[in-house]
Amino acid sequence: MPDHAPHRPPAAPAAARAARPLRLGVCGPVGTGKSSLIALLCRELSGRLEIAVVTNDIYTDEDARFLRSAGVLAPERIRAVETGACPHTAIRDDISANLSTVEELEEDYPELDLVLLESGGDNLTATYSPALVDAQVFVLDVAGGGDVARKGGPGIERADLLVVNKTDLAPYVGVDVPAMLADATAARGERPVIGLSRTDRASVDRIVAWVEEVRRSQAAGVLVPSDPGPMARHVHAHEH
Amino acid sequence: MPHPELLLLLLADARLPVGGHTQSGTLEGALTHGLTANDVPGYLRTRLLSSTRVEAGTAVVARATVERHGSLDQVERAWAARTVSPALREASRTQGHALMRLVRRTWPDLSRPLDDVVRPSRSTVLGAVSAGLGLGAASVARLVAYDDVQTVCAAALKLLPLDPVTVAGWAAEALNGIADLEAAVSWAELPTDIPACSAPQIEAWAQAHAASTRRLFRA
Ligand SMILES: Nc1nc2c(ncn2[C@@H]2O[C@H](COP(=O)(O)OP(=O)(O)O)[C@@H](O)[C@H]2O)c(=O)[nH]1
Ligand SMILES: [Mg+2]
Repeated sequence: MPDHAPHRPPAAPAAARAARPLRLGVCGPVGTGKSSLIALLCRELSGRLEIAVVTNDIYTDEDARFLRSAGVLAPERIRAVETGACPHTAIRDDISANLSTVEELEEDYPELDLVLLESGGDNLTATYSPALVDAQVFVLDVAGGGDVARKGGPGIERADLLVVNKTDLAPYVGVDVPAMLADATAARGERPVIGLSRTDRASVDRIVAWVEEVRRSQAAGVLVPSDPGPMARHVHAHEH
Repeated sequence: MPHPELLLLLLADARLPVGGHTQSGTLEGALTHGLTANDVPGYLRTRLLSSTRVEAGTAVVARATVERHGSLDQVERAWAARTVSPALREASRTQGHALMRLVRRTWPDLSRPLDDVVRPSRSTVLGAVSAGLGLGAASVARLVAYDDVQTVCAAALKLLPLDPVTVAGWAAEALNGIADLEAAVSWAELPTDIPACSAPQIEAWAQAHAASTRRLFRA
């Protein structure tokens, strides 16, 4: 039996990263609720934290416009990056356009605490390079079907957080949310899963608390960005 | 240093992580404003006769300037004066930034002549670095021209329904125009030697593209 690949070292030492804002990536298939999640986080956190957003629209500047029109953040803090129809490349193998934009925002707003990046929404295999983000959230929704979490993929299995969104829609799409969350949890070992709906206050509180916790560990210099990796593993990674 | 030919291949490789996939060489704007697939070979030729000469000339002069320990500021200003469209200047500076990031990490010494230039254009960076890498003036001119051809061709494949082999044929055909470009710029030494021959229509398309709300490519 082939063994799994050895653990990769982090892209840069964690200590070097504490001086700047937390860079948090949001990825997952189109329509699962990435923009909505970012709007929600801005709404919940902008009273306490200085925030900026980078979007990677595939075809339009829809995401950037949606977020600007949501009025949750000053429009000039929301910047769109065109990815030449390569949303996957722009967050993984050639992050330069995104990284430049993040750095620009950090320069323009030295007081930033949090930079949120929205991926253009590729397929289940798309994940962020740890050279671009400190932590990443993978977003699925119940409307995509109860099986998706079980099918797995690097983001589902190993993103820092998995969100199963739109739980309010479960009765209409015939999905058993507890079973879907159990599948997701089984696929992820100890990594967290949050079932989310914008209409479920408790779930909103959970995700906000998670982001604040990650930000605290980043600010303390103890967050080590981890790579979900591009591939499926044959054997479960060892847990610490 | 590795053989200059290998370094040239490295710099010309689309897999270099410098954001090449975000650029169309204004092809997206051109297609939006009426150019068709049949016009792409002519578009490639036109660029090699106009805007790409400015870029290649800038890179050649940046290289010569570093060789004689001159200041790159004047080169950068000459480039900016010949690149009328703000959108194209911005796109080039963004690409220059990505290239600088690569150079600083890969060949830290070679980025030094660029330290005092504020947001240098891609051509200035490429030319300055090529001096340290031991690339000749003609090689640098060919590199800039080749990259421009491939940028437009790669974008054409994303934007138009085409057989990739057809597009590779256009690229191969366009290479014939590179000898003329090379002859026109590789002798250049001073900022005033950089050709001033932009293509106003391409600049107009670039400006219109930058203001559009539906685009796949940055520029
Ligand atoms: N019912 C329901 N719909 C949601 C929720 N979150 C997002 N949506 C909707 O899902 C659709 C896609 O959301 P969007 O954020 O644009 O997805 P993205 O493509 O991943 O950015 C929009 O119509 C949202 O209003 C939710 O919690 N419940
Ligand atoms: Mg979106």
